[in-house]
Amino acid sequence: MESIVDVEHDPVPLVLIMANVLRRNESDPKRARLLAHTAGRVVFRSASDPQVVTIEFRRGRVMVTRGAAPDADMTIVADLATMSEEKPPKPAVSGALSHLRLALAVSKLLDPPVGDWQQEAERFWAYASPRPGCPSGLKVTCLDDGRVAEFGVRPAEYEIHGTAHRLRSVFSGGSVLGEDLLAGKLYAVGMLRHTAELTGCSLDWMMGR
Amino acid sequence: MSSLTDEIGERIHRDGIRWVRTDAVTLDGLVIGKHLSATKFLGSLPTGHAISEIAHGMDLGGTPYLAWWNDWRPDALGDIVMRPDLDTFAVLPDRPNTATVLCDNVELSGDPLPLCSRSLLRRLVDELAGRGLRARAAFEVEAMVFAESPSAARRLGWRGLTPMSLPAALGYLHQNTRHQYRYLDEVLRRLEAIGVPIEGFHDEAAPGQIELNLDPADPVAAADHVVRIKQTMRDVAADQGCVVTFMAKPSAEYGNGLHVHHSLTRDGSAVFHAVDGILGDEARRWLGGVVATLPAATSLHCPNINSFRRMVGFSAAPTVASWGHDDKSAAVRVLSRSALAARIECRVAGGDANPYLVLAAVLAGGLAGLDHHIDLPPPIGVASWGLPPTGWPHLPTTITSAAEALEADGRLRAALGEPFVEQWIKTRRWEWLMYHTTGGDASAVATTGWELTRYFEVV
Repeated sequence: MESIVDVEHDPVPLVLIMANVLRRNESDPKRARLLAHTAGRVVFRSASDPQVVTIEFRRGRVMVTRGAAPDADMTIVADLATMSEEKPPKPAVSGALSHLRLALAVSKLLDPPVGDWQQEAERFWAYASPRPGCPSGLKVTCLDDGRVAEFGVRPAEYEIHGTAHRLRSVFSGGSVLGEDLLAGKLYAVGMLRHTAELTGCSLDWMMGR
Repeated sequence: MSSLTDEIGERIHRDGIRWVRTDAVTLDGLVIGKHLSATKFLGSLPTGHAISEIAHGMDLGGTPYLAWWNDWRPDALGDIVMRPDLDTFAVLPDRPNTATVLCDNVELSGDPLPLCSRSLLRRLVDELAGRGLRARAAFEVEAMVFAESPSAARRLGWRGLTPMSLPAALGYLHQNTRHQYRYLDEVLRRLEAIGVPIEGFHDEAAPGQIELNLDPADPVAAADHVVRIKQTMRDVAADQGCVVTFMAKPSAEYGNGLHVHHSLTRDGSAVFHAVDGILGDEARRWLGGVVATLPAATSLHCPNINSFRRMVGFSAAPTVASWGHDDKSAAVRVLSRSALAARIECRVAGGDANPYLVLAAVLAGGLAGLDHHIDLPPPIGVASWGLPPTGWPHLPTTITSAAEALEADGRLRAALGEPFVEQWIKTRRWEWLMYHTTGGDASAVATTGWELTRYFEVV
């Protein structure tokens, strides 16, 4: 099914990321209807750097472009660095009171359905495993309860360990594997070659490429 | 030991050389290497010495490329080899008992690495030789020099600096050069001592801007000379307490280019020579290839986010894939009427480009033209600047669209070699990602602080 979410020509990363987030709603019929019936213009701005995009809901099409539209109905300012945390700080929103319907719709659409970490890991593996350079097998261990999911050839060439929340975040495209490893939010057992290739997959997964 | 190795050994002994600085160039054009004791250096010949491959695995901000791996890399971190080209051995005039030598980046087995731009250019030169063609090339190096010390320039964020000239942007003004003599005299003294042949120099258009013109040379040597000029100009600036930049667009007004001229001869005859201006078949196919692959080659000519800020109409940088006879508004300028000086000038590259890759892109384009019998379009016939957005073959305007153009051009990819192109495109997309996700402003219409911090003193 063709997506109704479009991006500008030569898009910047945040445009791709936001479009990818919005497209995830299209797998759920109720949310897909909400996406298609919403109208309004929303600016989504990073609180910590110059990244900013405008999402234009046009009843049936959604367009994501770089920059802030001067006539936006609503502006959301969020800390991109902490958005994947378990309890992220609430974004600052302006214009919601005068555009209640739009605000309710956007709050849902920017928080699309995400499965549990095993479901998301399975989806990520289906995406990543055909790519050249990826490990032949992946073992994922949840540090909360010791549960394990294995994909591909066993014994797995590469292992990722983390809490259920962190695993869910990285496999759903909410964060990037390499960044989470560098920050000590996830752990890995394997070769640097596979860390790099899987991080590349993780970035592309986040941006819907 | 070869006679050249013996000769270097004797020279090291005779000149009392205690240290040898080995220089290799990264894809981004940075010069990296080690200082080896003379004993260690001589003992490493002819193979060369090891260096951690991570030296080639980081971007211009020092962040490791952690989004892909390359087949030549060991599974974990390992070493590669810097193999000296002893023909480039030279004693440094400004360092006591120290010599320098340019190196190729090779695998432990001795095979050239896909990331070695110098080896890539040499391969293309060898390919030309195999077809009975000999290329010569010469670059025009542009740089801007400012009076502030490096620390003062950093405190100012590299903005509002004092040009080493009158504040007026005039060009060719000897009055400006007068302000630069102290700096230039030392640059020229050092370049002469290490064998870099300067044909001439002059004040360029921007305040504080200098252009150095090189004598024609073998293509690899021509690019070597650019590497050494940039390094020497940086060294002298550091020694004299001023700053120099080769950034493509360090300010909103002015840019630095890296124009490159090349000639071809077959059996001693100039391929581009045409008394009446009508080029022969081989020249037409070669030039057709250079022009047709120019959109793809733009990725190599304009490697950074900042490179594309120079590519605007009426700023003396080309914006369309055009050619013309002695037409400086065109991307490719053909000078064909003199047998001795018949040549092609490509005017796309910014001062921030890797010179080996600039020349490799031009030669690969020409080779693609020969191999694919690419037709030469008519000369542009109008000024190449300020042309409407449609109906003209505009060059890519962003780092990502240039990478896409390279990815889409099978002819240039084949001529440059797939492993190199694949690696290059990944590094350009990484640079795009870094700009947008580490503080660069996507809506900025002029050079940003992010660009000045990342490029001003480095590229």
